[in-house]
This record gives sequence, C-alpha cells and structure tokens, in this order.
Amino acid sequence: MLNLYLFQILNGLGLGMIYFLISVGLTIIFGLLNFVNFAHGAFFMIGCYLCYALLQVTGQFWLALVLGPLIVGALAWGAEKVLIRRIYHLPHTFHILVTVGVALILQETAVIVWGPVGKSIPIPDALQGVVLMGKFAYPKYRLFLILFSAVIGFLLWLLLERTRFGALVRAGSESTEMVSLLGTNIYKLFSLTFALGVGLAGLAGVLSGPIRGAQPFMGPEVLGIAFVVVVIGGMGSFSGALVGGLLIGLVQSLMTTIWPEGASLMIYGAMAAVILLRPYGLFGRA
Amino acid sequence: MKRLMTSKGLFGGTTLAVLAILVLLPLVLPSATLATEIVIFAMAALACNLLLGYGGLLSFGQGLFFGAGSYLSALAMIHGGVGLVTALVIAIVAGAVIATFVGMLSIRRTGIYFVMLTLAFSQTGYFLAYTLSKWTGGDNGLLDVPRPAFALFGFDLVDLKGAHAYYVFVALIFLGVYVGARRVIDSPFGSTLVAIRENESRASAVGFDTRHFKMLAFTLSGAVTALAGALYGMLINYVPLDNIAMAMSENIVIMTVIGGTGSLLGSLLGAGTLVLMGEILSSIWPRWPLVLGVLLILIVVFLRGGLWGGVESLIGRMTRKDEA
Repeated sequence: MLNLYLFQILNGLGLGMIYFLISVGLTIIFGLLNFVNFAHGAFFMIGCYLCYALLQVTGQFWLALVLGPLIVGALAWGAEKVLIRRIYHLPHTFHILVTVGVALILQETAVIVWGPVGKSIPIPDALQGVVLMGKFAYPKYRLFLILFSAVIGFLLWLLLERTRFGALVRAGSESTEMVSLLGTNIYKLFSLTFALGVGLAGLAGVLSGPIRGAQPFMGPEVLGIAFVVVVIGGMGSFSGALVGGLLIGLVQSLMTTIWPEGASLMIYGAMAAVILLRPYGLFGRA
Repeated sequence: MKRLMTSKGLFGGTTLAVLAILVLLPLVLPSATLATEIVIFAMAALACNLLLGYGGLLSFGQGLFFGAGSYLSALAMIHGGVGLVTALVIAIVAGAVIATFVGMLSIRRTGIYFVMLTLAFSQTGYFLAYTLSKWTGGDNGLLDVPRPAFALFGFDLVDLKGAHAYYVFVALIFLGVYVGARRVIDSPFGSTLVAIRENESRASAVGFDTRHFKMLAFTLSGAVTALAGALYGMLINYVPLDNIAMAMSENIVIMTVIGGTGSLLGSLLGAGTLVLMGEILSSIWPRWPLVLGVLLILIVVFLRGGLWGGVESLIGRMTRKDEA
C-alpha cells in the first residue's frame, strides 16, 4: 500500500515536471512580451507528434528529444517574425484570437498529416523496464523523465538568472522600453524568448509522448492545465510555475488511486480551493 | 408611436433590422433548423458581447453556462417531467447561479487572469459532466431530450414539434432578449459598464462599485447563455459533451468578435457567419476549422472592428461620397 503511494507520488512528480515545462514557457513569454499564447497547447501537441514522427524516421529517441523542441521553437520563431510581432501593440483580446487561430491551424494540420486517431509512441529501448530500489520497482522511462526535466529546469534557471540573455529577459519584463533605450535589439530578444517559451512546450510534448501518446485534439486540455498552474503560481514567476506544476501533478496522480474518473476534475477543484483562499495565487501580489 | 421609433424606443435603432433578419432567415435558408441554430448561437454571442463589447470583460468560459443550461434543462425534463417553460426557467436560474459563483472567484482578477480563470472554470464544468456520466451520458452525450409543447397552467397551447413552429418560438425569445439587452445597454447600468470598460479606476474613483457592476453583467450573461443552451438541447434533442467543452466557449467568443463587439446586431451577424461556414464547409472539407483559423488571423490583422464594423465603415464611406 505504501509502495502504491510512493509510486503515485513519483508519477505525480513526473507529471508535475511536464506541467512545469509547459507553464514556465507560457509564463516567460507573458512576462517579457505581455503576450498570451493560446496556441501553447497546440505547440505541445506538435511536440508529441514530432516525437512520433522522428522516432518513425530515425528510430532514435535521443534525436527526437533534441530535434523535436528545436523544430517547435523554430516554428514559433517563424510565427513570431511573420505574424505575432504585428499584434503586440493590440489589446489581449486580439492576442487571444490570433493565437486561437494559430492553434486551430496547427490542430487541423496535425489531423491532415497524421490522421484524426491518436498515435501511441513506444518507450525507447534503452529506457524500457524498471529500476529496482530494494523491493520497490519503478519504470525506467518515468524516472528518466523526472531527472531529465529537473536538469532542464535547473539549466533554464541558470539561463534566466546567470546569463546576459536571462538578465535582459528579466529586465525586459520590468520595463521593455528601458531595455530598448539602453541599446538592446528588443525585437530580437522577443523572437528568441517566444521561441524559447514555445520550445519548452515542445520539449514537454516530446517527453510526454512515450507515456500518453499523441492526439490531435489534446491542445485545449493542455492549455487549460497550463492556465491552472499559472493561476495558482502567478504569471511571470519561475518558482510559481514549478510549485504550481508539481502541486497539480501530485493532486492528479494521487487522485488517480482514490477516484480515477475524477482525477482531472480534482485539478480544477484544487485551483478553485487555492483561488478561494488566496485570490492572487500562492506567490501572487495584489 | 414616434417615441417608439427613436433610437432608444422599443423598435428603434437596430431592432427593426433584427426583426427583418429574423423574418427573412427561414425564408432564405434551406431549413428552419439551420435558421434556429443561428438564432440560438446569436443569443449566446449576444450575451458574450454584453460582457466584452460593453463591460470589456472577455469571458472564455461561456461554454460552461451554455452546457449547464442544456444539461440541467434536459435532466429536469427527462427525470423531473417538467414542461417547457419550467425547463427554460431552470436553465436561466442555473446559469445565473453558476455565473455568480464563477464571477465571485474570477472578477477579483482583471485582464488576462480573468480570461484564464473563466477558461479554467469552464474546464471544471467539462470534467464534471464527463465524470458524472451516469447523469450526463459522458462522452456519448445525453440522449432523447424532449421538446415539449408550449404550455401554460397545464394547458398545451402551441405544439413545437415542427421545425418552423420551433423557429418562431426561438425567434420570439431572441427578440425579447435583444430588446431587453438594448434596454440594459441604454440604461444607466449600461453606461456605467462602458465607463468601467474605458477606465475602471476612474469609474471606481467616481464612486461606482465596479466589481458589483461587473458581477451583475456576468450573472446576466450567464443566464442568457444558459437559456440559449437549453434551447439548443431541445433543437437537436440531444446534449453532446461538446456543449460544455472549451471549443464551445471558443466558438462563442469567435462569433462575438467576428461579428463585431460593441454592437448587438454584430452578434447575429457573427453567429450566422460561423454557423453557415460550418454548415457549408464541413460538408466539403472536414478540416474546415483550418480555414476558420486563417480567417481569425486575417480579421485581427485587417478588420479589427469585425464584420459589423466593416459594414459600418463601408456605409460611412458611401454616404460621405454622396455628400461630396
């Protein structure tokens, strides 16, 4: 029984790290660009499908893990150059409409390319089987997922806190104008940040592929969860996305043992509870 | 009579245009069912427009009210054996109550947080409907939703089984909602909403309890949307899970904005455009939402006032030419 809970807690950590990667991308983009990306879930979905497609073509999961997020990031970079850049100055309503449009285009393109029925993705050979810890056995891939995303999270933290690029992103979140006046090409910074944030959603997609497969209509659900995490943790906050993501992942995973049908429902229940107690989220300021 | 014709009168402004459209729709379109669908979604878009166009509140959770209206009215008819009027009243009250609850938790936050909260709460409704499959039918939807006759005090007055009879019934309700919405907008309450949209802190500084006003608008919008949902369930005799899904909220917002915010007539235009587009394109190409995605982007880039805004500026340009 105790092992079952340990199992679910680890599952929850893995799930939570996926949610963290999705939400932190959303949050970074919003923080710097003041832009809401409703296509974030759709880019995650494209990540899942790229995992499937790259595995089909190359047979190498590691290649998919590197190339998938890069391709998603490049797509986002292109979209930013061509389209998103033109609408920064408009109110949020228009950001939402345009990115809803982008999400529809991505979703339907996925159906055209890969069909309306989802694809399951095999677990890479090297990560099949279980890891034994005494009597406790845990799937290798899920353990890899937790460790790998933790490393990515740490690298991202280093990038944001310890590099010139990160300093610019953080400064830009405070005052875009000032950063621009001090001689930084703010548009280049915007493109890169948008690509980075969306690329993180793509990475989350690739990583979750072998666990839950790829379905063309998974975007809205993922977007909903990312919003829950951000509402709980506070928009623009790295630690908020981490804590919110892990909290939601754990709630969902633990509820699966108690009330499987209601696991997804409880995510939103948890959000309502947090909002009721702390209207501005766990780390939010009024 | 003259007073009635002025812009604030009962038939003034765009109300006559709406009346004309309502009469023409079933004559022009191939089926009365299609016309009914347009009018029902126009009602939902109108409720969304009331929030977005006048209160500046973008609710991405209107599907929650729409779905709740269809589920609860259908369940009341199936299990409670209630009649048409009672079922519709149940939907309206339920919509108002749920909107009040969601509003209490969401309206404290402004801007993008408000959008995200409404979206998240509508997802709650989706998963609730999905989880309670014993009642809602889950993924399969709720089947055999009746469409009772219009009855008062136990007497069946009008049978609504026929597509045309039901259209007239829905169109009359829409007309009532439209006139009511115009009254609300022209009232001091409506002006206050616009003031809040333009500058919330100033409206608050002048002494208005802005949260209270926004809550009222949200509740009203939820009630009307739920009414539309109930009418939709009776139209197709079925409540699919899609009624409460995020795509429903998305569609309602899209109709509102495509039509043009800030003009109630635009909602009818937007709903008509989207429903007809779906009807025509989906038979040609099942992947038509791709076209919709492109259209959305084009509208934001080129036609920000929506279709009604485009029509207005066209009329403006033509009349200006006449003067010159």
